[in-house]
Amino acid sequence: MVGLSEGEKHFIRGGIAQDIRTDGRRRLQFRALSVETGVIPQANGSARVRLGATEIIASVKAELGKPSILHPDKGKVSIFVDCSPTAEPTFEGRGSEELSAELSVALQRCLLGGKSGAGAAIDLSSLIVVEGKVCWDLYIDGLVVSSDGNLLDALATAIKVALSDTGLPKVNVSLSAASDEEPEVDVSDEEFLQFDTSSVPVIITLTKVGRHYIVDATSEEESQMSSAVSVSVNRNGQICGLTKRGGAGLDPSVIFDMISVARHASQQFIALVDSQIAAAEADE
Amino acid sequence: MSAQAGTGTYSPAAASGDKRRERREELRRHLAEDADWPRADGRSFHDCRPAFMQTGPTTAASGSAYAEFGKTKVIVSVFGPRESKKAMMYSDVGRLNCNVSYTTFATPVRGQGADNKEYSSMLHKALEGAVMLHTFPKTTVDVFALVLESGGSDLPIIISCASLALADAGIMMYDLVTSVSVSCFGKNIIIDPTSDEEAWQDGSLMVAFMPARKEITQLTLTGEWSDGKITNAVELCMDACSKLGEILRDRLKDTATLTNE
Amino acid sequence: MRDLHLSLNQTQRVRLEAALHELQSLTPAAASAAAVTVADTIPVNQEDNILKGHGTSDQDGEVVATLCGVVERVNKLVYVRTLRARYKPEVGDIIVGRVIEIAPKRWRLEINFSQDAVLMLSSMNLPDGIQRRRTAVDELNMRSIFEENDVICAEVRGFQHDGSLHLQARSEKYGKLERGQLLTVPPYLVKRKKQHFHHLAQYDVDLILGCNGFIWVGEHVVVDEKVKATEDQQKSSDEAENFTPLETRKHICRLANAVRVLSALGFTLTVELIIETAEASASSNVEVNDMLGAEFYVQTAEREAKRRADLLRKKNGAR
Repeated sequence: MVGLSEGEKHFIRGGIAQDIRTDGRRRLQFRALSVETGVIPQANGSARVRLGATEIIASVKAELGKPSILHPDKGKVSIFVDCSPTAEPTFEGRGSEELSAELSVALQRCLLGGKSGAGAAIDLSSLIVVEGKVCWDLYIDGLVVSSDGNLLDALATAIKVALSDTGLPKVNVSLSAASDEEPEVDVSDEEFLQFDTSSVPVIITLTKVGRHYIVDATSEEESQMSSAVSVSVNRNGQICGLTKRGGAGLDPSVIFDMISVARHASQQFIALVDSQIAAAEADE
Repeated sequence: MSAQAGTGTYSPAAASGDKRRERREELRRHLAEDADWPRADGRSFHDCRPAFMQTGPTTAASGSAYAEFGKTKVIVSVFGPRESKKAMMYSDVGRLNCNVSYTTFATPVRGQGADNKEYSSMLHKALEGAVMLHTFPKTTVDVFALVLESGGSDLPIIISCASLALADAGIMMYDLVTSVSVSCFGKNIIIDPTSDEEAWQDGSLMVAFMPARKEITQLTLTGEWSDGKITNAVELCMDACSKLGEILRDRLKDTATLTNE
Repeated sequence: MRDLHLSLNQTQRVRLEAALHELQSLTPAAASAAAVTVADTIPVNQEDNILKGHGTSDQDGEVVATLCGVVERVNKLVYVRTLRARYKPEVGDIIVGRVIEIAPKRWRLEINFSQDAVLMLSSMNLPDGIQRRRTAVDELNMRSIFEENDVICAEVRGFQHDGSLHLQARSEKYGKLERGQLLTVPPYLVKRKKQHFHHLAQYDVDLILGCNGFIWVGEHVVVDEKVKATEDQQKSSDEAENFTPLETRKHICRLANAVRVLSALGFTLTVELIIETAEASASSNVEVNDMLGAEFYVQTAEREAKRRADLLRKKNGAR
């Protein structure tokens, strides 16, 4: 990430204060969003999302596994983010470890819900095949191909689109299994169950610069932030996760205000993402 | 991070393991003994997969290329020449830095996306002979290869794609480098193996070749080979490399006509 | 034309392809015939003493290309010109660069070239304007003139014997650039012209087209007051009063977006084209940020195709 001179930083701060950013957007406007599904044929579901110059590829792979002993009626989901060196020269080798870990944790917090499974993006009990014995393990991978700010929002969008593209093969269980034996499972190649992604939330990151907040910051604007709050909101307007990033302290009233701004902005964004998904599916 | 797939988990593919093993054994027997047997994707022994290559998928890079050979998909980005970041000693030749990494979803069994150090150094050796390092002294050219899907014959495809990306970036080279690998099964040689075929091969031979200069920049061989077999295999590879070189040339000429103003 | 990462609907895609196709048909056909790729033999007449220039090498007595591009012949010189050429500095070029390091008696600038350029302390006017020898105190105060990450406009003075590029910024119009934004475009889109500094009076905006592909769009700064203005800015602590006025900011953003659209489409950047694009967007009431949307892209491509066709027709008609 290139540095910015004092003059440029001043210009960016001025733009945000006057509600006209360097590319002409208003504070609460997103960049152009473009969505493609099915980019990784060997995965169960995949998507490529471009938000301005930020580009993310997300893939969902499903494998059969054993449910954990603590939750025998639930499947498992794990989320992992990787940053490719094509995005930034510093991402080569271990350079991106810290950032990838931070993004993975933030996504898990927003999408996996509470320990009891309440509020999760995906209903984990729908992933169970044979209670206590066989369940689906979902591995969700995000790859950052090009980075120009707002990685978290783009990753969450890519995951949402990938899940909408995911089909789980139908599994037929032979009923003759004894209670302590491994049951025979036959995975069909033909029939697929589609995921219902209406409850998958999106993440809106609000970046505070000076006295105002902006959505969808570019990496130049992010370098100017005092702090940022990422809020995950679902279609019903409920908050599914919240992460504060950045160093400066925030007044509690500011945080509540940010939450309501995020909720408002998210409704438009969810509508936009849904229409893009529908368009992408119609193209196929 | 979640736990790796342990003994309790199994992918849907392995569920019908026995049947697949039988089929593979049969295929292997045919490949080793019969003179000409259609392979899993209908090719004959000496046919390569149809190659789809394209320049310019990454706009942020100086040059980039995308290659799709059957189920193997690779994207290579080239950055530079740019100032060598580390405090390097003064050198009157440039530095070529190669990095090959696999995405987590590249292989059918989900693995950790990792930098493949062995492939990175082999890519470097294959390209070293073709790039004119003395034309960019004191600077570094970075070559980043990302394997999106691994369907067999990965390294040769990475090498060909990287040389297309370098030409796209305007780095001076003696010639393009194309690369092809063959597998041997019993007394038969098959070219451009898929990952299924590679898993059961008796031996393999990979050649990286400069078609116009007719020079081999890299040659690796595993398994047991007789002299005659090696000669045949190398000739087969060189012929395939020349054909692949033509495809790369066409791709570069297309880009040339498009950007004309 | 690089891949445009935009979602176009069906009609937009058709219109864009038609416009690009028309542009392609307008380019002279002779150029594509001379295209070469790496390791192609260049046909030369063996009897003349051909000078082998950039991008060629000798192999077994034949001239072979080492780059992909177009073959150019100038008298006895044969060379290969790459189409998406990297920036090639020439003495007297006006460039815009960013300071990345302060070294003894010099600043190191990044200028989108394979190496960083050097601006010597002696090639820079001192703040008090007196012409004198630089002392050790001046050297310690270098940071007060330019800091790390500052954007500077300078001129290429020449190459040193070790190949590094030296710059000079002695005239009043060179120096630190503030109150604006810096854009990066591929260097081959900026052709060398007589004027690179453009003061757009109708917008009160400065537009500097650096030959290295860095373009500066900013608020107009009156040249004599530049020195005083920086001092005033440092003193005043209340930022809000110093922000660029809204109208000027809107114009800056419009021009910047025009540059972004034109560079994504791969059109050569000239002041007239940038102003025309910005005015077209203003007159058709396109919102500033919608300039980066699919509809405006397609309209710009169509407009350019029409303009070139008209130009060609006029040229042919005049003959």
